[in-house]
Amino acid sequence: MMQHLTSDTLIDYIHEELDATADAAALAHLQTCAECSAAYEAEARLNEALKTLPSAELPPMVKARIWEAVRNEQASPYARLIAFFRPAVAVPVAAALAVALYFVSPFAHRAPAGPTVDANYYLEQHAADEIGNPLGERSVSSTVLETSDAPGTAPSLGTGTAAAAALNAVE
Amino acid sequence: MPWSKAARAVTLGVALAAGASVAAHAAGTPSPAPKASATPAVSEEDQAARLLRASLRAPESISYVGQLQTIRFSTNKAVATIVRVEHLAPDRTRKWYMAPEAVYGDYTITRGITTYQVDIKHGKVFTSRNPSIENQVAASGSFGLVTKNYRPVLGDEETIAGHPTMSVLLINKYTGERAVRVWIDPRTALVLKKEQYRSNGAVAAQSRFEELRYTSAIPQDIFSTSVPAGYSKVAGRDYASPSTDLDRVRKDAGFAPVVPKYLPEGFSLTSGDVATVDGVKELHFFYSDGLRMLSLFENATGAAADFKKLKPQTIQFEGHDAQYVEDGPTTLLVWHEHGLYFALVGDLGLHDLVDIATSVVP
Repeated sequence: MMQHLTSDTLIDYIHEELDATADAAALAHLQTCAECSAAYEAEARLNEALKTLPSAELPPMVKARIWEAVRNEQASPYARLIAFFRPAVAVPVAAALAVALYFVSPFAHRAPAGPTVDANYYLEQHAADEIGNPLGERSVSSTVLETSDAPGTAPSLGTGTAAAAALNAVE
Repeated sequence: MPWSKAARAVTLGVALAAGASVAAHAAGTPSPAPKASATPAVSEEDQAARLLRASLRAPESISYVGQLQTIRFSTNKAVATIVRVEHLAPDRTRKWYMAPEAVYGDYTITRGITTYQVDIKHGKVFTSRNPSIENQVAASGSFGLVTKNYRPVLGDEETIAGHPTMSVLLINKYTGERAVRVWIDPRTALVLKKEQYRSNGAVAAQSRFEELRYTSAIPQDIFSTSVPAGYSKVAGRDYASPSTDLDRVRKDAGFAPVVPKYLPEGFSLTSGDVATVDGVKELHFFYSDGLRMLSLFENATGAAADFKKLKPQTIQFEGHDAQYVEDGPTTLLVWHEHGLYFALVGDLGLHDLVDIATSVVP
């Protein structure tokens, strides 16, 4: 089951700005989800309507006044001091914050903190038990019509299965 | 050309009986004759079940060489494997990988419950032992579950790799959905093609022999497990031995396990085991309806799944942030609740797995 497409995803989909995988996933979802399909239709209609509008141009006098105001804007002495030191202060502070976040936040790095179990173990143990089933996908007794045990595909485990092979092949 | 039902039943009965002699000849050893009747009164469903049952033991007596192609279909991609196979009955098999390119030239040799995987790119030989390979008690039980939950239906004939076959379709008795179709050579009872289907009827995986020759004249050297010069031998995983003594398994776990309150119709708990993985004690319950398998893993040591190179997607249910990956018909779903970490693996759709996971309440 897939979650509903976000508004941003829909807009990117309409403008063909999604990568191939996300584009295919969005298309597949739209074909099965009436709610998102309706949102897509509405967004597409709005997009088409916007295209038909004449492009608006600001009057020349308005633009000139805006630029004059920008040029006359004077920064305060404090703001100028901050601006002077900004690179020297901001760079180390940003670096320190990044390091702190990396070690403190569980979301800052992908691998979970604390003890872990290799997810491949679950796939491999399941596949290993399936072999005992005569009509399972990986059965031995219903001939060698099995797809498991592709070698060398999970060298860290040394027991690579087709599942691991297939999933690794996506990398 | 379509056969009449009676003619087909007679032919199938004769074919199965003849298959025994072919099997004995091909293997060079005596082979138990599959029990089949030439009586037209036997229903097609019984004939299909007999053919299916005979196919389960066929590799124990049939030797052959061939080329096997397997394609596994995920939601929006497919992965194909082409393997050269030499099988010497009863239990020696060598598979040489021709595709995909990432595993080209690698091979595996299986002797009994031990498998040697030779990785030529890294110069390594991985060894692993899997007691499930020879678990005939489980195999017998599984066939009982199959006939309890699935209706076998004889289908069309098809010639595969030059051999005539008869197909048997297994239909789920509760949902009416087709689950698996196998194409069996009635002379040898060997399965030459298999298709596995998703609940919506789409093909999830297909395996078929592109070439096949029955012969027992296979040199023993093919199955040599000596480590090639310059290669290092690496001990792989020794898989846990499944046990039907579930009370013992629960005690070995060392914590109060939780089981799902909901399972799809036909599924039942068949075995379990406890293993220590990456220093973490993992309890594993195995469920089956005869064809489809479901594994529930639990640990109480706060050990989350590390997906490493796998690219999981996220999903939410019952307030849990879960992650999942799909491969062909197999899906892995992980989540945690009240200090227990769960992993559910099954040949079911994500929707079904989420329904099961939702019913796992610590």
